[in-house]
Amino acid sequence: MIARTSVSRMLLSSLMWIITLASLQANEEKIIELYTTNTKISIPPGESVSYSIEVKNNSDEIQFCNLGVYGVPSTWNYSLKSGTYNIRQIAIQPRGKNTISLKVEVPLKVNKGNYRINVKAGTASLPLIVNISKQGSQKTEFTTDQANMEGHSKSDFSFRTKLKNRTGEKQRYSLISKAPRGWQVIFKPNYKQATSVEIEPNSTKDVTIEIKPSRNVNAGTYKIPVRAMTNLSSADLELEVVITGTYEIQLTTPQGLVSTKITAGGEKNMELIVRNTGTAKLENIKLSASKPSGWKAAFEPSGIEILGPGQQRTVNVKLIAGKKAIAGDYVARFTASVPEASSDVSFRVAVKTPAIWGWIGILVIFIALGIVIYLFRKYGRR
Amino acid sequence: MAEELKRRKAVPFFNRMFWGKNKDTINPFWVIVNKEIADHIRSWRFVVLITIIALTCFGSMYTAITSIGEALKSGKADDVFIFLKVFTVSDGTLPSYFIFISFLGPLLGIGLGFDVINSEQNRGTLTRVLAQPIPRDYLINAKFLAALIVISVLFLVLSLLVIGAGLIAIGIPPTPEEFIRIFLFTIAAIIYVAFWLNLSIVFSIRFQQPATSALSGIASWLFFTIFYSMIVNVVFNIFIPEGKKLSIAGEQLKLAIQRVAPNQLFSDITTSFLSPSVRSLGPLTMQQMQGAIPGHLPVDQSFTLVWSQIVGLVALSTLCFIVSYVLFMKKEIK
Repeated sequence: MIARTSVSRMLLSSLMWIITLASLQANEEKIIELYTTNTKISIPPGESVSYSIEVKNNSDEIQFCNLGVYGVPSTWNYSLKSGTYNIRQIAIQPRGKNTISLKVEVPLKVNKGNYRINVKAGTASLPLIVNISKQGSQKTEFTTDQANMEGHSKSDFSFRTKLKNRTGEKQRYSLISKAPRGWQVIFKPNYKQATSVEIEPNSTKDVTIEIKPSRNVNAGTYKIPVRAMTNLSSADLELEVVITGTYEIQLTTPQGLVSTKITAGGEKNMELIVRNTGTAKLENIKLSASKPSGWKAAFEPSGIEILGPGQQRTVNVKLIAGKKAIAGDYVARFTASVPEASSDVSFRVAVKTPAIWGWIGILVIFIALGIVIYLFRKYGRR
Repeated sequence: MAEELKRRKAVPFFNRMFWGKNKDTINPFWVIVNKEIADHIRSWRFVVLITIIALTCFGSMYTAITSIGEALKSGKADDVFIFLKVFTVSDGTLPSYFIFISFLGPLLGIGLGFDVINSEQNRGTLTRVLAQPIPRDYLINAKFLAALIVISVLFLVLSLLVIGAGLIAIGIPPTPEEFIRIFLFTIAAIIYVAFWLNLSIVFSIRFQQPATSALSGIASWLFFTIFYSMIVNVVFNIFIPEGKKLSIAGEQLKLAIQRVAPNQLFSDITTSFLSPSVRSLGPLTMQQMQGAIPGHLPVDQSFTLVWSQIVGLVALSTLCFIVSYVLFMKKEIK
């Protein structure tokens, strides 16, 4: 009975000891306290979080605390600093507090979700949660706001694109394009023509891409794939160029001869060629002539209904010189025009005066000579 | 007979003109012509005339050559014809070559023609010549032809001299077109002087005294050169109200009246031949000028432009010759 009592007493006392110990332990935990304001922070991948943590000493003695950060994924970096020093242990004055800073760098390649980090100082611990707002990647981004442009075949298309290096390292991208034959694609990072560009990790560069269509391009939509690539990663972007039809007309002569001769008051038939040099159909071509006053010009046919791209048509023009035109050079300009385009050809017309007065003059001289001969006959051989 | 025919065939046609019926004798017409030419060339009068003309021509050529560089800077359509500038350019101190020719040419014609008949008549040699067995018109024809030959040779030589001197001075040879133009100008000058020659022959037949005929010739020359255009202007000014301008038709009428004067005809001809950029000699309407490009006319067009003037000058010359011929044939020679 006594033994049982002693045993129970021993049990009781040991229990009391444990309780006392436990209570002592509880008192000890409260000696050091950790505090920060933002305990759950949401950031995108590739950025870093800075915490300012207060370490507080509630005891009346100087406390030395070992510091530790737990639960940080191995690919992340962190640093624990007091002032400018990396630290592993701090000392805190009685009833005092110190501030340490924790910087956690989140890499680009990280999954979306919550990550728990525990900061420990001595016996105290501070749970922190870093929320990664987006799915991270190890990628290059090649983007543009406006991937589609429209213009005629003679215009330049200038696309403003952004190339973003989302990999962890500095990259040298070579820029290549796959344009149709005859097209010209120029990459201009930093406003200078280049074939490659170097980008720091996690930074963006503006690349202007200038596209010149080939000279004889037909109307339509053209896709120009461009690519920025390194041996590790690449990014594609598809640009779209819409070529509208061009309206171009050319008026010329069969041999390119643009001079002619004409007698004043006389007429001259000439051939002109109307050519559609554009890429769109020309409708209702009008022919007109700018000529000296008193002159006439008649076209046969007087106009052309439809002329497809690349086609040509011969037009006869009958030019009638004015009766009062003086000898020498005149200029006559013929114009073929549609509302969208026009072309003209200037003729140098050398005017000759009609020979009729010349013959009358010769007649006058012959009459005079005839009189002389008559006189010779009449008086001569007396 | 066969021998004779053979001999005749062997002699070219041209020679038959020169030779008489026998091969050994010259045709009497050419005898007179030769004699007249010799007389002209040996006369002091001819030496004086030729000295005046040669001096003035060389003077004008000198000014042309010294100022040709300045003239070439103008950048006009005529610049293609550098060589023609030798004939037309002047620095203002002396008239240019063609103006001298048009001014002194008549003097030469009058000088050679004013006493052809009346001086012989006064000396009494005319009857002696006409007593020879030759047709009467041989004399007048030969006298005219002799003077014309002298004038032609003189002008051709002068033109060639100017060409040669110009060639030395500016070092650029004339183009064929320029040469043709200069040649045509020379021919026109000969025709012009032939007119004055014929006119003075008319006077020499009509007037007994050489002084009278010379004065008549010079008077008519002065009249046409100086007074005629003045008179025309005055008459037109009477009919035109103050401050108003002539209409195109009026200007054309005025020009037509002025073209009665032979010197106006000749100046038209020289302008057209020596300035290829001249496209019209009369007033032009705006309609005619519209669309015209500055340029030069080809020779044939320049020729066509002044063809009526050439015809007029030839007709005037021929008319004077006809008058002198008729007068001479009907003249009583004592």
